[in-house]
Amino acid sequence: MGLEWYITRRVAWAVIVTFIIVTLTWALLTAAPNPQVSQAATQAALQGGDPAEARERARELRGLDAPLHERYIDYVTGVYTLEWGWSESRNQPVTEALLESLYYTAQYSVPWTILTILLGPLVGIYSAANQYSWKDHVATGFAFFGYAIPNFFFGIILLLVFGVYLDVVPIVYNTDVAVFSLENAIQLVLPVFVLVTGSIGGTMRVSRNESAEYINADFVKTATAKGVSPLRIYARHILRPTMVPLSTTIVAQLLYLFVGSSLLVEVVFGIPGLGQTTFQAVIAQDTSLVLGSTLFFTFIATVGNLLQDVVYTVLDPRISFDER
Amino acid sequence: MPHDIDRRGDEAHQMKRRRWLQALGVAGAAGLAGCSGGGDQETTAETTEDDPMGGSETTEGDGELPSVSGTYNSLASATYETLNPIYNDTYGAGVAIEYTLDPNYSFRPGTEQLPLTMELSSDDNEVWVASLRENMEFSDPYGEVTAETFTYQIQEVQQTEWANTPDSTNWYRNDEPLNVEQTGTYEFQIELPSPDPLYLETYDPSLYPIPIDLMKPYVDEEDAKGFQEDEDLLELTFTGNLGAFSLDEWNRGSGITFSRNDDYYLQEADDLPEAFSNAPYFEGIEISVVGEEASRLAALETGEADTAAVPPNRVSEFQDLESTYVSVQPQSYNEVCTYNMRDNGWSAGPGNLFREKKFRQGLASAINKERLVKGVYRGYADVEYTWQPPWSKWFPGEDELMTFGTGDLYGPKETRSRIESAIENVEYDYSYDGDRLVTPEGDQVSLSLYHVAGQNTEKNFAQYIAQELDKNAGINVELNAIDATKFANDYWQQQVPDNPDQYEWSNGRNNAGPREVTSKNAWDMSVVYGLNAYPLNPLTADVFFLKDSVYNPYGYYPSWNAKELFQEAKNAESEEALKEALAEIFVKISEDQPMGMLAFPSDTIGYNSSLQGPIENYFSGWDFPTWHFEE
Repeated sequence: MGLEWYITRRVAWAVIVTFIIVTLTWALLTAAPNPQVSQAATQAALQGGDPAEARERARELRGLDAPLHERYIDYVTGVYTLEWGWSESRNQPVTEALLESLYYTAQYSVPWTILTILLGPLVGIYSAANQYSWKDHVATGFAFFGYAIPNFFFGIILLLVFGVYLDVVPIVYNTDVAVFSLENAIQLVLPVFVLVTGSIGGTMRVSRNESAEYINADFVKTATAKGVSPLRIYARHILRPTMVPLSTTIVAQLLYLFVGSSLLVEVVFGIPGLGQTTFQAVIAQDTSLVLGSTLFFTFIATVGNLLQDVVYTVLDPRISFDER
Repeated sequence: MPHDIDRRGDEAHQMKRRRWLQALGVAGAAGLAGCSGGGDQETTAETTEDDPMGGSETTEGDGELPSVSGTYNSLASATYETLNPIYNDTYGAGVAIEYTLDPNYSFRPGTEQLPLTMELSSDDNEVWVASLRENMEFSDPYGEVTAETFTYQIQEVQQTEWANTPDSTNWYRNDEPLNVEQTGTYEFQIELPSPDPLYLETYDPSLYPIPIDLMKPYVDEEDAKGFQEDEDLLELTFTGNLGAFSLDEWNRGSGITFSRNDDYYLQEADDLPEAFSNAPYFEGIEISVVGEEASRLAALETGEADTAAVPPNRVSEFQDLESTYVSVQPQSYNEVCTYNMRDNGWSAGPGNLFREKKFRQGLASAINKERLVKGVYRGYADVEYTWQPPWSKWFPGEDELMTFGTGDLYGPKETRSRIESAIENVEYDYSYDGDRLVTPEGDQVSLSLYHVAGQNTEKNFAQYIAQELDKNAGINVELNAIDATKFANDYWQQQVPDNPDQYEWSNGRNNAGPREVTSKNAWDMSVVYGLNAYPLNPLTADVFFLKDSVYNPYGYYPSWNAKELFQEAKNAESEEALKEALAEIFVKISEDQPMGMLAFPSDTIGYNSSLQGPIENYFSGWDFPTWHFEE
């Protein structure tokens, strides 16, 4: 009994949670009227056919005439075997649509997440080390500016300056360039910059306040007195305790590595990622694709919660998992 | 082969490009401008200002063919749902499909038939003979295009119920399938039940060639779903030499790339201008999806794109740039203010004054159309009095029409006298209290007006209407910005009743029954949709004016004999007779004011300065394969 037992229970619980979510989405979808069936009926009425008959035919075609339990089993099997259906608005399988979008989302979300996790605490500690100096004010001002300015607006302004006036970055996102190429790096600089400035504010402020607490702590004074180099003090004696409260935020942020898509930034920079795909699917009432992306995000969030709980107990031995 | 500019309504509604459903297309999204153009316009586009539909040949006159160079970069504002030629019903995707696959015919300036894969001709306007070109090939392994390619598609796909194609109804007349017969390897004929001199202008016979072997498995199984999802159809892999370009890659989220087709079948055509003999002149085409108008314009400015629609308020800016020019191309969508005459319209008080012809005439007299054209559309539009643009050959001439909103038929006096006489006709006690029109309870009449959120030109248009109605009619107008899809579903289209048989008619969601059948939410006025005036074949526009047609969301009951007059026009045997019949219809429409008919904006399309080809004509783009970059 211990960590392993705790993790086993958490994993089992995560499986149950996804199952409940899948069941709930199925129940909601089953209860809602099927737009395709009503459309078929309307179409039939329009062409002088029998709407009731057309409705029946459409229900049969989609397997909606089968008993509820059969439909439920089919649905759950489909979900867990990754047969998520056909996207009507893109005319391709849902899984293919999601993977294609993920490919573009990951190209900006990976650098965005890494930079946020690295830069946030660093800028925070830098600020704390130079507390109340002009350096602190500049760093704080920078963090607040990024946090306060809406991403899409900042994106448009940067695109206007660097794309239109200076003409150093392209305005139309090009999907033909290789992932690891200079062209791709250039076209991704602005979206990543906008997203990083938008997201480091929180981490930076927490780490600044936390580390400010430790800068004057007794163990830091002791270390300084023993002649430990400032770099080592900051890295080992201040950063480490600062990271404990930050760890939850950061692990949650790590999840965004692949799914942290930002619809508005994607729209402004024309990146065909997950955010846009999901949004377009909702607009087009593409039920399969909406469902697919919902399930995708749900699974990731469940796994993320699981990881977060586990990491939390691993990082901080004071937190007991025995009684949970 | 039209230019690659999406129209707002097409995206929102996925309307058919060429048929009546086109009706829903909202008049030109981005750039709407009049054929009047501007005197100081710097443009390298050819102009046919006197006659926007008139004749004009391609730019090549000296016999020297342009060289093949560059990639033509165009922008689309939304992604494509499908590129399956059989099932596509949107304008944007239609343009993309036609880069790789020619339809059977199109029109060139002068409304002359432009034979592409075939020429359609008839001696009696009843039996139409299709003569195919003899050098058309699909990609391997599908072989040659013959008459059977088309007759098979018409009979086994279009004229069946299972396939449920959007063009299916084109192949029926009076609920009977048209008789189509193969008369030779490269010839077939279509027999109409009665003569129709404007058959080609209806675009009904429009078809894409699709290989029989590709269709057959789905035909045998009656598998519509498989047919829609077929990869060869979706990725256009079968197109052979049938289009100027071949599709390289379709990235669902970001766009499409095409490369030049070296052996385009029209290179051998001897009935087309010389420039076709080595067409096309671009090495490739790239369509990128860019959702934001600002980004599309920026891309045009920096040269990343070779074309983009320019909104009227930025036309002069792009005309002044050295790297771009703006071509003003008349188009057929008008800007109308529709009135909800159904039971959930007129939220101001009891009754529904919109149902009174005099009241509608009063509203039309309240809006100064000339100022609208000048102010909102910066002069790039024509004033609209009836359901036909002034440059159409069917336009009866202003002398015959009620020219509401201009001259003597504009102003508060004209407006109020008509509204007052309308009030005399209704049982409720509406009246004028000073300058304000008030309800029987004494409150000012207040009406809602819906417009699409995020469309600046349209918002200005709505604001202008609100100001004019306030000033001249004493009516308070509340503006509501709304998403086009939401408006369509919850306001514009009615809820189909469970028992449609109990109504005199019920024709689907755009006219689900008489006025008591209503949409989910109430609305008073809307400028969300611009409707098509069909300058090629105005008979198609009857759907807007018949109370039991398939398209009457606003619940209009004509106070004139619309059905008879349209029938009379349809029976006309000569063009003269047709013109006369249509003139009578247009006069009636201008009198009855079914909706506020305000302006015909033109498309204002920006192009890269080095691009040669666009013309300032309704048919611009007819010779797209000959467009090229100047060296």
